[in-house]
Amino acid sequence: MNDGPLIVQSDKTLLLEVDHPSAAEARKAIAPFAELERSPEHIHTYRLTPLGLWNARAAGHDAEQVVDALLTWSRYAVPHALLVDVAETMGRYGRLRLEKHPVHGLVLSSTDRPVLEEVLRAKKIAGMVGARLDDDSVAVHPSERGNLKQALLKLGWPAEDFAGYVDGEAHAIDLAEDGWTLRPYQREAAQSFWDGGSGVVVLPCGAGKTIVGAASMAQAQATTLILVTNTVSARQWKDELVARTSLTPDEIGEYSGAVKEIRPVTIATYQVLTTKRKGVYPHLDLLDARDWGLIVYDEVHLLPAPIFRMTADLQARRRLGLTATLVREDGREGEVFSLIGPKRYDAPWKDIEAQGYIAPADCVEVRVTLPDGERLAYATSDPDTRYRLASCTHAKIDVVRDLVRQHANQPTLVIGQYIDQLDEVAEMLDAPVIKGETPVKERQRLFNAFRSGEIGLLVVSKVANFSIDLPSAEVAIQISGSFGSRQEEAQRLGRLLRPKTEGRSAHFYTIVSRDTVDADFAQNRQRFLAEQGYAYRIIDAGDLTAEPT
Amino acid sequence: MHADPARAGEAVERLLDLALAWEAPGGIRALSGVADAMRGMPGLVSGLRPSSPEPPSPDRVASLLAELSPAATAMLRHVDAHGGEGTTGSARRTVSPEQAASPAEELISRRLLVPRDGDTVVLPGEVGLALRGGRTTTEPVDEVPPLATTSRDPALVARTAAGAAFDVVRRTELLLDHWGVQPPSVLRSGGLAVRDLKLVARELHVDEVGAALLVEVALSAGLIAEGAEPDGTPAWLPTEEFDVWSGRPTAERWARLVGGWLASSRVPSLVGSRDQTGKSWNALAPELSSGLAEEARRLALRVLAGVPEGEVLAVGTGVASVVQHVEWLRPRRPAIFADLVTAALDEAAVLGVSGAGGLPPSGRLVADDDLPAAAAALDPQLPRPVDHVLLQADLTAVAPGPLETEVARRLHLLADVESRGGATVYRFTPGSLRRGFDAGWSALEVRDFLAGVSQTPVPQPLEFLVDDVARTFGSVRVGHAEAFLRADDEAALAALVHDPRSRTLGLRLLAPTVAISTSPLDVLLPRLRELGAAPVVEAADGTVRVSRPDLRRARGRRGRRPAGAVSARQAAQVQAVATAIRAGDRAESSRPASASTTTPSDALAALRDAIEGGTTVVIGYVDNHGATSERVVDPRRLDGGRLSAFDHRADDVREFAVHRITAVRPA
Repeated sequence: MNDGPLIVQSDKTLLLEVDHPSAAEARKAIAPFAELERSPEHIHTYRLTPLGLWNARAAGHDAEQVVDALLTWSRYAVPHALLVDVAETMGRYGRLRLEKHPVHGLVLSSTDRPVLEEVLRAKKIAGMVGARLDDDSVAVHPSERGNLKQALLKLGWPAEDFAGYVDGEAHAIDLAEDGWTLRPYQREAAQSFWDGGSGVVVLPCGAGKTIVGAASMAQAQATTLILVTNTVSARQWKDELVARTSLTPDEIGEYSGAVKEIRPVTIATYQVLTTKRKGVYPHLDLLDARDWGLIVYDEVHLLPAPIFRMTADLQARRRLGLTATLVREDGREGEVFSLIGPKRYDAPWKDIEAQGYIAPADCVEVRVTLPDGERLAYATSDPDTRYRLASCTHAKIDVVRDLVRQHANQPTLVIGQYIDQLDEVAEMLDAPVIKGETPVKERQRLFNAFRSGEIGLLVVSKVANFSIDLPSAEVAIQISGSFGSRQEEAQRLGRLLRPKTEGRSAHFYTIVSRDTVDADFAQNRQRFLAEQGYAYRIIDAGDLTAEPT
Repeated sequence: MHADPARAGEAVERLLDLALAWEAPGGIRALSGVADAMRGMPGLVSGLRPSSPEPPSPDRVASLLAELSPAATAMLRHVDAHGGEGTTGSARRTVSPEQAASPAEELISRRLLVPRDGDTVVLPGEVGLALRGGRTTTEPVDEVPPLATTSRDPALVARTAAGAAFDVVRRTELLLDHWGVQPPSVLRSGGLAVRDLKLVARELHVDEVGAALLVEVALSAGLIAEGAEPDGTPAWLPTEEFDVWSGRPTAERWARLVGGWLASSRVPSLVGSRDQTGKSWNALAPELSSGLAEEARRLALRVLAGVPEGEVLAVGTGVASVVQHVEWLRPRRPAIFADLVTAALDEAAVLGVSGAGGLPPSGRLVADDDLPAAAAALDPQLPRPVDHVLLQADLTAVAPGPLETEVARRLHLLADVESRGGATVYRFTPGSLRRGFDAGWSALEVRDFLAGVSQTPVPQPLEFLVDDVARTFGSVRVGHAEAFLRADDEAALAALVHDPRSRTLGLRLLAPTVAISTSPLDVLLPRLRELGAAPVVEAADGTVRVSRPDLRRARGRRGRRPAGAVSARQAAQVQAVATAIRAGDRAESSRPASASTTTPSDALAALRDAIEGGTTVVIGYVDNHGATSERVVDPRRLDGGRLSAFDHRADDVREFAVHRITAVRPA
């Protein structure tokens, strides 16, 4: 028997005992091919998935290495069936290759003739390929490059793309490292992206994904199209690029609902691209407006489905995906893999935090008890109004006041879903509110004021969830939130994880009504945060005053 | 014989020793019965057939063979290779070699094929011998088919086998724990329903073949047996042996399972396939056994034990080579023997007797039938049991190895298993904790247990969860009552409940204004009235239901018919009918009481008679459990294959299935 830190389960999960002396080595050995699923305090759970194994294959690891890692570090016998499965799955990647042929252009070739025969017989593939060139290769129309890769992945024979990229229109971009330097992991991320050609870089919120984007642009030295989730984050990208690179504001265009500028570096929102009028996408031309040398996708896990279809036609351009998580709530991880590219860099949150770039967050769940009257109203109400009733109880308002008082000198965000409740809180706290109807200009003014410290307290609705940089926030109080999605949780925490100046720890409070659906959702949140390795405490609203800050 | 002379000599000596052959004056001859027993058996090795009564000399046969046309030679070889018999079709029987028009006629005319009866022709033994160059077989028979092997690290073999052994013990325990609580019922034919087998497969994360093997091995090891549920339905239950077994160390438990498997005649590999009649085999069915199963297993293991250490069966070709090897060793076994050997190799791998296609030291000892030593050899390879878990803030507990039985049982009650294998991941949910409370745990006990079993401090969210569940546990109580009593007058209700005369009614006060009773309404109501209360009945919607005595009325006559011709005719009819009936009655009374009827048509007739005659009969009836009882009944109605009759014993009208009535006789 071996005394390794790893236990391989028959359901393809790997359990890693963190406190084991050789845990760090074992983690390094399995990280390339296993997806970290949960990282609570003692035992981390990794999972072997076909995509994970293919990602490893794309990064140059082979099945032998994977099997060897499992056998070396495993404490008990590794199920034989699992080893066979690993070898077989990994063997599937790369049997098919997309290559550039000097005469025929794009060709799909194979070292394994039966595989090529098998996929060519599939109905879906038949329409995408052209003439059979010889026994081992077949011509592919350049416009089908993305669709073909996608279809092949679905068949379980992912193709490796060696067809290369167009250089695009050259444009000088340099990093302006004055007073700051690229962090080691950012440099590594940008480098491994560039070496891999196209792909996704996974970094936690606040770890400086924008900088990785900028570094990649400096590598590409070409015109760049950046796709972001919304206008506010577009502006942030622009500010950041102006500050961190040699680009001037004139070189950067914004392409959104309000402004439509096309410049050497253009930042467009997903929304404007996916706007449909009379059945067509009027802004689709943007993708061909210039000879882009690089396309950056911010928050890949939110990439809407139509953009996937557009991306399928952009396979000849370098694509960089940036995200905090590869997990997509819609399960389209496979499309990210085939259309944007395999994972090129990944660093677990806790590691970066341990390096001191992200402040550790203290997560606290505050439980309030509904007053008897509200409890009765809750019990007798319709299921679809229950959540609202539970989350909007007045008891929460008092808790917010107590918490704000406790953290009086720290920049604080109050986050919620229901406008009425937010208005009420804002009135009580005498703080500004940002909600859906707040104009962009006003939003920016408030965010800037918050960032500069003019305002110490901001009440925001769900709109603040995505991609708004509020690095100065130290305390977040969540009073209500829609149905416990993991993504949302990651985003909210992201608000607080941005680096803090004095190394103070951030606080993340959620206020939950006891014995209601609100508490059930809190259970999901608790699980998610604990799985991410955060300390999670529960306190009663009554004990709050006794709680030291 | 096509074999090494020395070996042939040895074989002959052996036959002589066994007295299957004897040294007759004219040479060695087989016992007459032996040839008969051999004839017509499948798997006949040699193509040797009886010679003609007056065989021509070998030279003559050789020269005849040389004369043949290529087509005739090919035909002859084909007949030889396929049992030495064939049909001639249209070939003429009496032709001379010169007249022969077809290959068949060529052969017949030279008496290389001899007509027997009808269309059949046979190949005489001497011809076959000549055809094979003077040998009994075309292929050499003394070469043992070699085993296809590759080399493999013995440590890996041992680890793989130990992993499988550990798994099979764990799964068996899980299965029987589950069956102890929810036993599957025994089919009428004695097996396990396909549905139940599927459930087992799902529960244990194995396929149905694997599930069938586990179930069958548990049966062979005497860990399950047919028992009965409290209501008498037969069910598969863990035996008392199981309790002893589950307390033993893993290696010993494994040895017990392997011992059962090795010595059993069961054939789990057939489960799910169909027999000749198209009926699919159920697991645990009594017919699912073969006298050859044990021999197949022992032989397969012995062959495997012959593979040197460091070598294992080659992937793909290994199993086939073992089968060939075994067929050579046991040429006269029926075709199913090869299947049994293949299945035995699969089963050995699942049971951890073999690993990665080779036998570890423990497996070799099993092949030598030394199970205690095998268990001792396996023991150091098995994961050590652990007595602690790691509790985590995401409400999971991870046992980093096999848990000690007692701890595992308790944890199993309090948490759901999320992932199994070398380690076990448990998840605490409100539902799982409630299960613990249902089983009588208190919040304090749960917390103490968790603190005791965990190496690390109990995470705060888990403590909150325990307290939350404890707080809501039992906040709503449910009980059984036949009736409720509601009164606005608290004193009156209290007086009723405490009245000594009401003790038999089972009254209990739930609240000052509500009491319940264990007596049904129709008993309660008159008794309450006797006690001086004036209760009214409340309907389910809360309204008062008033009851008053029904007023009875008869239906008035509708007009009178004119007397005269009509009434005269009726009177005459009545007279005639009455006469006929009386005659019938007389006939009835004079007929001797028939003995019990047994054929279904007799029984039906007897029942119809009884219905017509309104008489009481005794019927023999087979109930759901197959027990026959006698019932005294007054048959009322007979239709749709069911008899409706007044059952004297039950004092009520009962339905009987006609096909289950074995006999009918008058009471």
